[in-house]
Amino acid sequence: MKSISGKTAIVGIGEVPTGHFPDRSFIKAAVDVCEMAITDAGIPKQDIDTVIPIGVVSNPLDNTNVICSWLVEELGLGKTAKSNFQVMSGGSSSANSLKVASALVAAGLSKAVLVVHCDRMGTGLDLSAAISMFSKASINQEYEMPYGFSQLALAGFLQQRYMYETGTTERQIASVVESLRKWAALNPNAMLRKPKTADEILQSKMISSPVRKKMMNILADGAAAFIVTSSEYARDLTDTPAYVLGIGSRCTSFTVTAQPHFDCWQPAVDGAYHMAGIGPGDIDVAEIYDAFPTFILISMELLGLCEKGKAGKFVEDGNTSPGGRLPVSTNGAMMAQGHTGAGGGMAILVEAARQIMGKAGERQVQNANIAIETASGGIGMDFHVGVLGKEGQ
Amino acid sequence: MSEYNKPLPLVTELSKHFYDGCKQGELLYQKCDDCGQIVFYPKELCPACMGRRLSWRKSNGKGKIYTFTVTYDAAPPEFATDVPYALALIDVDEGFRMMSNIVECDFDKLRCEMPVEVVFDQITPDIALPKFRPSEPDEQ
Repeated sequence: MKSISGKTAIVGIGEVPTGHFPDRSFIKAAVDVCEMAITDAGIPKQDIDTVIPIGVVSNPLDNTNVICSWLVEELGLGKTAKSNFQVMSGGSSSANSLKVASALVAAGLSKAVLVVHCDRMGTGLDLSAAISMFSKASINQEYEMPYGFSQLALAGFLQQRYMYETGTTERQIASVVESLRKWAALNPNAMLRKPKTADEILQSKMISSPVRKKMMNILADGAAAFIVTSSEYARDLTDTPAYVLGIGSRCTSFTVTAQPHFDCWQPAVDGAYHMAGIGPGDIDVAEIYDAFPTFILISMELLGLCEKGKAGKFVEDGNTSPGGRLPVSTNGAMMAQGHTGAGGGMAILVEAARQIMGKAGERQVQNANIAIETASGGIGMDFHVGVLGKEGQ
Repeated sequence: MSEYNKPLPLVTELSKHFYDGCKQGELLYQKCDDCGQIVFYPKELCPACMGRRLSWRKSNGKGKIYTFTVTYDAAPPEFATDVPYALALIDVDEGFRMMSNIVECDFDKLRCEMPVEVVFDQITPDIALPKFRPSEPDEQ
């Protein structure tokens, strides 16, 4: 297969603060992040010929409207846009959109693609509706829903087995949250910016064992956008493109019971490294999709950033925190930045680009030449790995 | 029997056959007649060879806990008054994994690889849900 490595780049990003903003309308946040990304890229807006709006979960009407070119009209792209369509795969919509956008650009079908996410998971639906949704969405109705399963229980399953197999302690898992909170404290767009120690996290209420309250993400309103174009055009636009060096993906199953083991995701990792022509030792910063802390540890091991079973100790020793040897999830990830539905992966992807572009402000990782980012959707139905870097083709 | 307010299994051609088995006290699974693959949850096609000749077999109802969680809070609304309750993924002896509740046990004693056996909970006149309990007396 012909590789597109280094042939496309992210040239502009936009993001508004994540949190509870009952007075911030859907369309304002969506338009704001698009405008920010266009300005950041310095791209004439008529060059954006494709818009990919990621699925809106909190309000089906908003979703229908963005599918039907709402943003094309709001941004005045009506005379120049060729396509407006959705790429929807839950939390991995970001990764799949990056893949589709890069392929369109590399194939010459698009000059520049705008990928945008906006959702109001924090205030757009009430708490009981949200709990109800996450106990039904992507859960098997024939054989699993009758038992009271939920995505939170999934986190309990994962953590329990991971601790059993690796000997990772609850404190080490809590230290993942501690590390994320330290990053969030440096991120003006994050929701939970107050530091929390591992001990404080361990004192919080048990929710679905061994997951405690402070190990849970919080649903939030958020929006982010990025623009992908060819590497050639990227160099004309900006001195700081984030080149797309590698993409790897694997889909596994609908139900968690059908997943043999996380090792089945290894080809996604290997594919991304292979395409980028690099290995784990080349990674300067890792932006890892979470939702729950164990997911970060499992992903770090899949990515080869730690030996199997050693990620918890690595995090507990401070290696992933600000100033650490391998910064991980420098925006605070969903655990601290907030969970915005299908756009959860967007903030993580945008943060990876931000680090490569050198635009991460107080949390900028020095010499961030290569970033790796991950995303997953549903009940772990898939796993996607992207590699971004400062040097393209 | 008091009214049952929790989600009932979606009944399809395949799940009806499975739940008809449960009503008779049998935990059924499929095996592909073409390639021998054990198939669960029940499916139309063998995921290994795409064959359609899937025949039903009866499990001995015994297995081990692969992983589990005890839900204390933030349960799906219909289960809110049931907390705490235990959920588990169970590796059944015949070579398939299923989700269920663990019942008749001390939650503090639950552990991965714990031996369990099926019991059928007749939740409505039509539906018996397979659940599991510890199968070794000292673990009950």
